[in-house]
Amino acid sequence: MKTILAVDDSGSLRQMLSFSLKAAGYGVIEAIDGEDGLNKAKQQTVDLVLTDQNMPGMDGLSLIKALRAMKNYQSVPILMLTTESGDDIKAMGRAAGANGWLVKPFDPARLTEVVKKLIG
Amino acid sequence: MGMLSRESTSDLMETQVMRLLSGVSTHGDQHLAEVERDLVQMDVLLNEAIKKLCTSFMAIHHAIDLQQETLKSMLSTGKPAPEQAARLEMLREEIGQHVGAAVTGLQFQDMTSQLIGRMVQHLAGLRDVFGELGTNGTAGLPESGSEEMLVMLNRISDRVGARCSELAGAVRSTVNQRHMESGDIELF
Repeated sequence: MKTILAVDDSGSLRQMLSFSLKAAGYGVIEAIDGEDGLNKAKQQTVDLVLTDQNMPGMDGLSLIKALRAMKNYQSVPILMLTTESGDDIKAMGRAAGANGWLVKPFDPARLTEVVKKLIG
Repeated sequence: MGMLSRESTSDLMETQVMRLLSGVSTHGDQHLAEVERDLVQMDVLLNEAIKKLCTSFMAIHHAIDLQQETLKSMLSTGKPAPEQAARLEMLREEIGQHVGAAVTGLQFQDMTSQLIGRMVQHLAGLRDVFGELGTNGTAGLPESGSEEMLVMLNRISDRVGARCSELAGAVRSTVNQRHMESGDIELF
């Protein structure tokens, strides 16, 4: 089973992500912010990372940069899932190493379609 | 400040008081306009989310009723007819779609909590502005001469302005959504 790391400070959003991805047959590890996400990513190399941008402490962009600096996360797909949709911040996400940008709220069918496209 | 004539001191005093009042009014208005904007946006998001959730809930309830009827009918005949199996499959897909719509609607809390956080920061900013007036205003009115009063008014105006500039830079809007429809997806 492919495993996805879902990083978001909103409990309800993590719950919805977990529900949608598990229903599509993926394993899900939840993290409450960037720092928690980084620690969990170190404990187990996951197949895909989905992260929010605005979180207390370490934000999504910093998490992506930290993950891309790790040898085992250089080619793991990372998607940003955020309320932000400005071109500037998207460009920053791309430069940091994100593979895609999803604007909230997400539709479970469209989300799993994208995930399937990236990791099968 | 050097010696000033009574008239010029009075003029300067008037200018400083006007500057202070204008600063408080402008900054207060800016903060309240932001709060008002966020409240309107939050109201739209909450209304749409609740409508979406009510519709999904009723649709799921209806589809489950139909599913139960089909199951009952299948159990009474003992053997499922092909059209019953097809109907069950159709209902399963229908329920899945309504659950998906409900999942989208249930994400309202993430957005509204960010908007509430921003409003709280703006209200705190207003409190700071009024706090500056309270702390440095009437409680510290100089007893001697108007020149000290001028210095004090100038200082209060500067501090009110500084507080507002600090806040304006710190409170960036992170929620652009005006509806509860699912957002765009872009793969790089």
